[in-house]
Amino acid sequence: MDLLPFFRWCDSTWLSVTIRESRVLFPIIEALHLVGITLLLGTTFIVDIRLFNLGMRQQKVSSLATQLAPWNRASLAATAGTGIMLFLSEAMKCYSSGPFQVKMLLLFLAILFQFTLYRRFTESEKTRFTPVKSWMVGLTSLCLWFGVGLAGRAIGFF
Amino acid sequence: MSLYSICEWLQNTGWGTGIRESTWVFPIIETTHVLGLALSVGTVAILDLRLLGLGLKRESVSQVMGQILPWSLSGFAIMFATGILLFWSQAVKAYDSVFFRIKILLLFFTLINALVFQFTVYRSMAEWDRAPVTPLRARLAGAVSIALWIGIIAAGRTMAYKF
Repeated sequence: MDLLPFFRWCDSTWLSVTIRESRVLFPIIEALHLVGITLLLGTTFIVDIRLFNLGMRQQKVSSLATQLAPWNRASLAATAGTGIMLFLSEAMKCYSSGPFQVKMLLLFLAILFQFTLYRRFTESEKTRFTPVKSWMVGLTSLCLWFGVGLAGRAIGFF
Repeated sequence: MSLYSICEWLQNTGWGTGIRESTWVFPIIETTHVLGLALSVGTVAILDLRLLGLGLKRESVSQVMGQILPWSLSGFAIMFATGILLFWSQAVKAYDSVFFRIKILLLFFTLINALVFQFTVYRSMAEWDRAPVTPLRARLAGAVSIALWIGIIAAGRTMAYKF
């Protein structure tokens, strides 16, 4: 399947052209993207250190996860929204970027994991926690999300 | 000796030049600095949200603070160390950048905000520790902190651009 026409179309949309032609829009959207990432990773990190039993030991995992869920989802929405705008503005650059492809793959896996296994494991009252399972779930989420961040940063370097 | 010439000297030292001209060291330090945001600002933001009564309302403030701050502080240690190295390698660029100056100023305000919190409303924390909605001064400290960090992130990112 050839995605080139799709990327070309993205690159020529009104939003794409507007962001590209403005000197301030790209930096502003990029800063908001970073703020979103910060909160997204922060909320995930707090639940993960509880899974690792390295902090918040007096709180139940499900209590932490459900209380932080609205912020986790909101920051994901903000990061995705600004991310789509950044992508549109330089779709052709992304088309030929290796790190971008890696990022999209990791992002797909991270979101899939977050809304299936991770969610069920951390937000359910009925979860039976064992140290091994908790570490595996926590580490997988950290590796996936930091991997997305790493590949995302690499788009700018290569 | 002016501040400018100190910056010039700094970035021309062996370390400064080495970091700036390396293929991998600069990107690695830079990426660590960016992803360190999650550990430093990302965790502090959770505490700010608790102070604002917008997150983790069922937990006491002292619990959230005591459990989260050690992580935030180790995050800030990473940010500080990598930030120094980045500055070292491009001190002149930072000196010339208005965004860098804004960033340092905002960082200073963050410190003031934390100190004001520590020496005022924090002292009576026992009285409102479990309250879902904290006193106005505590909420103010949380809101100011979040606003400052957004400004710091934006200023830091914008340093890369020339206007």
